[in-house]
Amino acid sequence: MKWIPNFNSSNSLRVIFVIAVFILLFLSSIAYKHNQDLNESSKVVMHTYEINIQLERLMSAIKDAETGQRGYIITRNARFLTPYIYSRDKVNTSFITLKKLTTDNPVQQENLRRLFKLIIQRFVSFENCLKYSDPKTYDKRRLDNHMFGGRILMENIRFKVDEMNDIEKTYLKNRLKIYDDEISLSPLFSISLFLTALFFILLAFRQISKDFQRLKVFNKKLLISNGLISESEVIGKFSTWQWDLDANKIDYSDNQYRLLGYQPGAFIPVKETFLDFVHPDDKETVSNSIEGIIRHKQLPFVYYKILLPSHEIRYFKSTGKLLTDQQGSNILLGINFDITDEHLLNIELQERNKELEKTNKELASFNHVASHDLQEPLRKIQTFISRISDADKAVMSQSAIDYISKIEVSAKRMRVLIDDLLLFSRTNTTKKEFIKTNLEELLENAESELTEVIEEKSAVIVANKLPKLAVIPYQIEQLFINLIGNSLKYSRPNVIPSITIESIRVNSEDYPEILDQNIKKFHKITFTDNGMGFDPQFKETIFILFQRLHSKTDYPGTGIGLAICKKIVDNHKGHIMADSEPDRGSVFTIFLPD
Amino acid sequence: MQKNALNILLADDDEDDRLFFKDAFEEIKIQTNVEFVHDGMQLMEHLMDFDNKLPDILFLDLNMPKKTGKECLIEIKKAEHLKNIIIAIYSTSSSEDDIEDTFIQGANIYIKKPSDFNTLKKIINEVVTVNWHYHTSGLNRDNFLLRLK
Repeated sequence: MKWIPNFNSSNSLRVIFVIAVFILLFLSSIAYKHNQDLNESSKVVMHTYEINIQLERLMSAIKDAETGQRGYIITRNARFLTPYIYSRDKVNTSFITLKKLTTDNPVQQENLRRLFKLIIQRFVSFENCLKYSDPKTYDKRRLDNHMFGGRILMENIRFKVDEMNDIEKTYLKNRLKIYDDEISLSPLFSISLFLTALFFILLAFRQISKDFQRLKVFNKKLLISNGLISESEVIGKFSTWQWDLDANKIDYSDNQYRLLGYQPGAFIPVKETFLDFVHPDDKETVSNSIEGIIRHKQLPFVYYKILLPSHEIRYFKSTGKLLTDQQGSNILLGINFDITDEHLLNIELQERNKELEKTNKELASFNHVASHDLQEPLRKIQTFISRISDADKAVMSQSAIDYISKIEVSAKRMRVLIDDLLLFSRTNTTKKEFIKTNLEELLENAESELTEVIEEKSAVIVANKLPKLAVIPYQIEQLFINLIGNSLKYSRPNVIPSITIESIRVNSEDYPEILDQNIKKFHKITFTDNGMGFDPQFKETIFILFQRLHSKTDYPGTGIGLAICKKIVDNHKGHIMADSEPDRGSVFTIFLPD
Repeated sequence: MQKNALNILLADDDEDDRLFFKDAFEEIKIQTNVEFVHDGMQLMEHLMDFDNKLPDILFLDLNMPKKTGKECLIEIKKAEHLKNIIIAIYSTSSSEDDIEDTFIQGANIYIKKPSDFNTLKKIINEVVTVNWHYHTSGLNRDNFLLRLK
């Protein structure tokens, strides 16, 4: 179903969203990592400072011990020995802490072990100093030696501590440098990523608002066309219904309810609902046709009756088609037309047609009466007159002979009238078989039919090439006979009659008022004579039955000949017309379809 | 009744026509036996009665009471012993349908009743003297309707 508008943007929207979400996820994971790194580095810093502090403490404890020992050696006051005594504990505590702090670093552990060795040596040196400074065991040389050795040890310790501090500092520096390296490119990168994500989101927003606008426009159009459809259903007296075969859901248009005699939405339709409205006579037909739609996908029109709740009968015409939409679901679309008015009109037409047929039959029987029953007595009158022999006439009075001759003339005239009338009616009632015929042949036949008059008047008939047309041959021959006969009959006295027949092909659009525009080409055949002509005011009336321009005594005739011509031309969907001026001859023009 | 004379039968309900017919035969002076029937029923009875001599030529009017000329024509052509009778349709009508129908049903000639006694005599003369074997073999729609020269 191509008429459903395509909102493809939703796909691109999805892509944009996925990209934006990925960028944001990436950004947050980087931020998380940075956080972790910062945490790590501060821990490393803390670790370094702690080691530093502990080492300083260690140093200061040894220095305290040294200072206390010196004070004691100089003063011999035991109070100075207190820091020296506590210093051992302090050294041990710091040492344990340091050992813990450096578990992950074997170099520092090794350094620590050496440092500890040095410290133990230092304390041994302290002991020795105390021992040789004691007045009881005083030995100046040894004391000097130990004092000096203590100094060197002290320097070594200081050196070792500095070395350890340096290692830590270097380590810290390296670690911080690594973190710095990692973090250094991220601010610009993350800002650009953020901006990209923002850009994508803005793009998505723009697309959404564009789609929204389009949707609004479509929605408006949809509303309008929906309204128009429902309005046109009311005006056109039709309705639609849809049956979603997969969901088995049926929807009626508003007008469907109205056509069934209900308010829109008055009930919820199911599969069987519609059949309930169908007239009992037609239920089977309609249910078959619904199944037919499912089987054959579509259906020709089906005609049936509907019984409204008000017991009124309406006539319906329906059709349907099985549609498959973009999602592949099958929807049966049905259209119902309320054709009650047309149906009733049709019935009326049929009745009128029957009446016409009846009238036609009556006309036909009238024809029979005219052809047979009317002729019968006339024929007898004529036959009886013909039986009056010369011997009979010899014994009759002159007036009786005159009367009989007048009866004879009248009877003859009656015969001509009846024959012409019959000819006229037969022009219409007999079979109309169109046969491709050369009109020149028909003209020849007509001329030979009129040989006697033509010779009598020494008439000249000139005809240029006539076409081959699909015509009713004997009728066209009759037409030629009548037209030529007419010209000969109304020729001027003492003038040799001349008739010129010409034919050309013309376009019907050049004669919009008189020719059937559904036929493109016509043949225009003109009969021009040099006869007595007639007043142009009669150019229409001469084709009417029984219309005569001359008295019977001057020109015997029945006034049927040209009426027959008109009828013949009408039978061929053509046109006949005449033009003339008194004493200037006349022109009869016939148009016959190509 | 003359022995070698032609047997002529006219089936016509019109008394005047029978009279013209009789007079015409008397005047043309050909040896004939002319008999008359008044309607279709009587015609068929006459033909079916084996006591009657069959006519050589039957002049058949179409418009007759009780049984029309066309019905009679069909019956005659169906009957084995009658179908060789020369049948001349003798009718007032000159409608194409009547001419066509009777031609198809096997009539030999179609005569339109003339309105002149002399013409009638000429027609009868023509029909009685024609060589029917010859005429029937060359019969077609164009020469079926009798036209006097």
